[in-house]
Amino acid sequence: MAFISTGYNPEKPMENRITDIGPKDYNDFYPPVIKKNKGKWSHHEILEPGVLVHVADSGDELYTVRVGGARLMSTTHINEICEIADKHCDGHVRFTTRNNIEFMVDSKDKLEPLKNDLASRKFDGGSFKFPIGGTGAGITNIVHTQGWIHCHTPATDGSGTVKAAMDVLFNDFQDQRLPAQLRVSMACCLNMCGAVHCSDIAILGYHRKPPMIDHEYLDKVCEIPLAVSACPTAAIKPSKQKLADGTEVKSIAIKNERCMYCGNCYTMCPSLPLADTEGDGIVLMAGGKVSNRISDPKFSKVVVGFIPNEMPRWTTMTDAISRMVNAYANGANKYERLGDWADRIGWEKFFEVCELEFTHHLIDDFRQQAYMSWRQSTQFKF
Amino acid sequence: MAKHETPLLDQLESGPWPSFVSDLKQQAEVRAKNEEGVEFQIPVDCVDDLLGILELSYKHGRTHWKHGGIVGVFGYGGGVIGRYCDQPEMFPGVEHFHTMRVNQPAGKYYTTEYLRQLTALWDLRGSGITNMHGATGDIILLGTTTPQLEEVFWTLTHDMNQDLGGSGSNLRTPADCLGTSRCEYACYDTNALVTFLTQEYQDELHRPAFPYKFKFKLDGCSNCCVASIARSDMSFIGTWKDDIRIDQDAVNKYVENADGYPANAGAFRGSKDWGPFDLEKEVLGLCPTRCMKFENKKLFIDNANCTRCMHCINVMPRALKIGKETGLSILVGAKAPILDGAQMGSLLVPFIEVNPDNDYEAITEVIENVWDWWMEEGKNRERLGELIMRQGFQKLLSVTGIKAAPQHVQYPRTNPYIFWKEDEVEGGWERDVDEYRKHHLR
Amino acid sequence: MSELLDNKEEAVKAVVAFLTKKSKNKTKFYLKDFYKVFPDDKPRQIKKVVNKMVETGELEFWSSGSTTMYGLKGVGIQHSSEGEE
Repeated sequence: MAFISTGYNPEKPMENRITDIGPKDYNDFYPPVIKKNKGKWSHHEILEPGVLVHVADSGDELYTVRVGGARLMSTTHINEICEIADKHCDGHVRFTTRNNIEFMVDSKDKLEPLKNDLASRKFDGGSFKFPIGGTGAGITNIVHTQGWIHCHTPATDGSGTVKAAMDVLFNDFQDQRLPAQLRVSMACCLNMCGAVHCSDIAILGYHRKPPMIDHEYLDKVCEIPLAVSACPTAAIKPSKQKLADGTEVKSIAIKNERCMYCGNCYTMCPSLPLADTEGDGIVLMAGGKVSNRISDPKFSKVVVGFIPNEMPRWTTMTDAISRMVNAYANGANKYERLGDWADRIGWEKFFEVCELEFTHHLIDDFRQQAYMSWRQSTQFKF
Repeated sequence: MAKHETPLLDQLESGPWPSFVSDLKQQAEVRAKNEEGVEFQIPVDCVDDLLGILELSYKHGRTHWKHGGIVGVFGYGGGVIGRYCDQPEMFPGVEHFHTMRVNQPAGKYYTTEYLRQLTALWDLRGSGITNMHGATGDIILLGTTTPQLEEVFWTLTHDMNQDLGGSGSNLRTPADCLGTSRCEYACYDTNALVTFLTQEYQDELHRPAFPYKFKFKLDGCSNCCVASIARSDMSFIGTWKDDIRIDQDAVNKYVENADGYPANAGAFRGSKDWGPFDLEKEVLGLCPTRCMKFENKKLFIDNANCTRCMHCINVMPRALKIGKETGLSILVGAKAPILDGAQMGSLLVPFIEVNPDNDYEAITEVIENVWDWWMEEGKNRERLGELIMRQGFQKLLSVTGIKAAPQHVQYPRTNPYIFWKEDEVEGGWERDVDEYRKHHLR
Repeated sequence: MSELLDNKEEAVKAVVAFLTKKSKNKTKFYLKDFYKVFPDDKPRQIKKVVNKMVETGELEFWSSGSTTMYGLKGVGIQHSSEGEE
């Protein structure tokens, strides 16, 4: 493969350079009916799970078919999305914040052919390419982070845990039987580059072992002060170490009981790997929300302290998620989010009806906010 | 024929949800066949090797990636994340496999013409694997080698009029909901404001300016579809000041369970039968401030006591509309739990006008005041929310010149330990002890 | 803007001197570390000048993904350990 140059000259990087131009103008991407009716929409209706109509003051109608997608997506798949959008939607398509894809048409008669086309497409392995759903009082797509496909500090995989969970939750992606919307999010380590801490159900990768120290190489591949200052809990200090052969090297020492397994030091220094087969796994959190509807936004709470990584299907994890979703579906009132339901029945009942074990790990002991979560009342249920 | 055996990943091809494994396999095959005759600039079999290294992670339960310090293209302090695999001999196709963040368009609307340009570029110069989209909102191009970074950037800027997004201690790529473009709930044009802020602060987005990352997210209403209140240092949430507009005929249509007036716009059309819609129970009874009543077929809202939670409007979108005097609230300091625990955004500006005609000057003034303070006082890797905790909400009010109001708190402080400033106390702190002793013996 | 920061040559000299002095121990620095070199200037102005030094080739960035740091161009062991040189 011969190198093809665009015209960029590494010797003169500033020559003909274009910078600071920002994103493309959204006006160039709006479908005509959006451009015409922007700011003048009257109302919308979900006709069936995954299918919406938006009606403008002008009387114009816009039909949207929402489909799920793996956020990890190939150009081949994107080209297929383009093929569908060209065929049915005059070359327009949009993505949602939760990695869904929306195909929009401007009249009802275009709806059925689009839906049939989308529903008929499957991967060779048998899964749907474009399952219709993800609206209303159901479970929409899971937002997630990279995991093992591309990240250096994950405690689990992103795409795999999401695929396993969505397969189990698939009926609720295409149904709207729940008391309210239920948002599932996934982050592959506690740094949460996808913030999952306010989700109805959060899947969180978690390490439980401090990093190993590759003393022999540490000083050769990384700067010790950087590794030291990378630690948010000040658990790392410079230290001389004796190798097995007696040579003394400059390295670091870690106060293990202070380590919160964030991996920041591994980012700065490849001689401090922390991934571990037994140490790493999943934390489940529940009861958070971001909407201000009825009740205030709230944080998710840790409801399962640890589940081992079970590749490739994470069944202990998906079983626990299923139990929560079903207990919620059976117990909550219409419009009640999972966290509001748990607050109403009491968390002691939540653990009972979800058949989850309460352990000492679930009692907060992290800094001052911990106290706020202990019970300062005689009102509780047995 | 697959290059590597992937027995564990193969088990993720079954089931109804779109399988990323099947997609990766089809991509590997498309590259191998290369019917388009692409002169691939990175190894043809990189996707095979990506599958191979992922399978190894499934076998080991451990990642096989290392971080790299590459930041971006020349002169940029963000936009690229360096990645190297720790088994380069087994998987040479992904030895160097960097990520590029491409600034997504507002509302994430696309034309196929643009997407095809992007896929052609990424097939030529990268793995052809993407995230649509990353958690921050960018288009993520996953996997290319160092020499290709500048070439991709050149094509993006020269041929596609498209820039990179942010990473590192920069302003991160701002993200929005679709706003007024397709949503009747939106209280302002999120697409316009997010684009304005992104363009206005290009320098902050591309070059480090801050002690740590900084995120803007824009929600058109308090339903918060992009979760701005939970995950952005500065969250812009649409709201209104005047009255909810009521169409009484439409209210009665909902009460009568008329066709075309399903509760919550049809969100409950599913396998569970919730029975007929009950206005009293489902709207009035759930209103958090109980500020509504329905008498003689007329709905009354005591707007002065409404907190604009959106519930009634969500339930009856054909009958109830947001007010006409719209603007937004600014909340600050949200972040994920690392390090001192999670923080939700705290209300700083209850209402601010959204005025494109004066370049949103009211909003940019607040932004720049906050930034000046954080740049000056923020410790390395301290998020805005943590600085507010450390120096106090009062300090934030003082640097932004905003007057304290009861809207700023859930409830007033529960301790009387007010640290008075000297100039707040009549006569100051310097006192004459001899004068005192004239009346108080030693 | 202070005279020191305003004078491109002097500003570069001051930054290079600061980094060279520290380079025995570490080679990557936060933006905030340069505040000490220009005590009379606003962070916003310092950032502009320091970022310019990346374009003119005196400095280079190093990123942890979440934080961006500065160093003298080509100095330090991070690059070689990443197999880029």
